[in-house]
Amino acid sequence: MGIIEYARTSIKENWSLFRRSRMGLLGLAILAFFAFLALLAPIPRLIDDMYHPMVGVDPEISYSTPPSLRHPMGTDFMGRDLLSQFLSGAQIAFAVGITAAVISVLIGTAIGLTSGYYGGKVDALLMRLADIVLVLPGLPFIIVIAAALGKMSIWIIVLLIALLGWPGVARVIRAQTLSLRERPFVEAARVAGAGDRRILLHHLAPNVLPLTFLYAALGVSGAILTEASLSFIGLGDPSVVSWGMMLQWAFTTGHTFRAPYWILPPGLAISLLSLSFYLVGRALEEIINPRLREP
Amino acid sequence: MALITTENLRKVFPVRKRLFGGQEYVTAVDDVSFKIHRREVFGLVGESGSGKTTCGRLLLRLLEPTSGSIYYDGVDITKLTGRELLSFRRRVQMIFQNPYESLNPRFTVYDSVAEPLIIQRIADGEERRRRVIEALERVRLTPAESLLRRYPHELSGGQRQRVAIARALVTEPDFVVADEPVSMLDVSIRAGILNLMLDLRDDLDLTMLFITHDLAVARYMCDRIAVMHKGRIVELGSKEDVIENPQHPYTRALLSSVPRLHSLSKT
Ligand SMILES: Nc1ncnc2c1ncn2[C@@H]1O[C@H](COP(=O)(O)OP(=O)(O)OP(=O)(O)O)[C@@H](O)[C@H]1O
Ligand SMILES: [Mg+2]
Repeated sequence: MGIIEYARTSIKENWSLFRRSRMGLLGLAILAFFAFLALLAPIPRLIDDMYHPMVGVDPEISYSTPPSLRHPMGTDFMGRDLLSQFLSGAQIAFAVGITAAVISVLIGTAIGLTSGYYGGKVDALLMRLADIVLVLPGLPFIIVIAAALGKMSIWIIVLLIALLGWPGVARVIRAQTLSLRERPFVEAARVAGAGDRRILLHHLAPNVLPLTFLYAALGVSGAILTEASLSFIGLGDPSVVSWGMMLQWAFTTGHTFRAPYWILPPGLAISLLSLSFYLVGRALEEIINPRLREP
Repeated sequence: MALITTENLRKVFPVRKRLFGGQEYVTAVDDVSFKIHRREVFGLVGESGSGKTTCGRLLLRLLEPTSGSIYYDGVDITKLTGRELLSFRRRVQMIFQNPYESLNPRFTVYDSVAEPLIIQRIADGEERRRRVIEALERVRLTPAESLLRRYPHELSGGQRQRVAIARALVTEPDFVVADEPVSMLDVSIRAGILNLMLDLRDDLDLTMLFITHDLAVARYMCDRIAVMHKGRIVELGSKEDVIENPQHPYTRALLSSVPRLHSLSKT
């Protein structure tokens, strides 16, 4: 009777409803397509060293070239293969987006549950903290931190995105917990001898799980955009090839208007992938919201 | 000897603060003293808001009394903590008014009925499963195996209340508070649940606090009846005395508002 099992039954129950949402299915299809690309990312460098997205350079090319047989998506300004960079970008987008969203949703859910369940001083303190983080301007704040730290690692970026993302989740989960804890099944659990821990983990957490899923999906979308923005303005992790990084290289080497084969794929991919998570999130919301109202 | 004795029990709730001036209070239970004997069904009747549920919650230590004491088997339960409180919880149980709300919607029937056993560490593995099935059979939900993996929304109201009763009785408690256990149910299935509770009382030697606003149900179920009005007990006696020969004007008013007092007879 663990939380994993609840997740499994909840997914099974909701899939039939999800299937009816066309936008949700479209989102899921785009998402699956990029996930497939991300899985392909390690392959090019196995074929030939020059296809390594970061350090591989075609020995015969030293400027940006349009798509060819050797380089299906062209090369960048120093002869690196754009296709392998693009695939690596997909991998990074998933890693950054999902990790940041999962961390922030976990923090937000834990804080929302605690705050809503215990109320009183604990609640006041945690919600003040959430307010403070909520009013921090996200991107400028990360830029200041990045400037202070010098060069960024991708995991610091993920952590910063996650630490800024939890308050919204915490507020919604708290509101949900406030109404759940008044439901008679909570009192029934107490009659059976359940303590706070059991009530929180077994009775309240599974009932906020659908909301948690929804926020995770929406969070991924935001995190992908934030990482892309950071990389584009030159504050990304220089040891990692992300889509934002590809755009930045094109921009700083003056290829923005000369090499559409270079800037279009990562630009479109960023928009499409974050859109896809957003669509999936919205479809989930449509499933969850009418159900939240019913007892 | 009485199983439960309350002395001068009071519960005051703080309610919203006024804009100017101080805090407002509601006295939900006001200076209530009574005894409940072993194997007795003790009725608590009264209109909505008279303090019946609050009284039941106090007896189970779901609320702390503002003042007064409660003795359970000679022990003052208002002072219990930790392990003593947990073993007290094992001996007392509650059946709630609304079976649609008192079962966790994400728990299967098995999860709900097994939960008290898990918390109290009474039985595990096959033994736990056996006890759950036994409890379901005791409330006449058969075949029990086929219900174990069902969720509350897949059950009828009567079935849910039976599951709730099975859950309450699975730890073999001595004392059960039943808070309007049939008022949310269809009239056609009420008698079935009430008879079940009386049978279980006999089989398991239960003592019961039976809360209701329906005097016909109280007369059918209870040995003695206490009438509550605005937090106080205004009349207490055997059901014959209270219903055939009411002393307090409030009891008379309550009785005159019940047209069909004789419609429910023992089967
Ligand atoms: N947790 C609480 N906080 C504030 N006031 C409460 C609380 N619980 C009960 N009350 C108040 O105490 C009074 C008695 O309520 P209680 O629920 O005990 O009545 P009841 O006899 O069970 O009524 P009903 O038949 O409607 O269930 C009511 O005025 C109610 O508003
Ligand atoms: Mg009540």
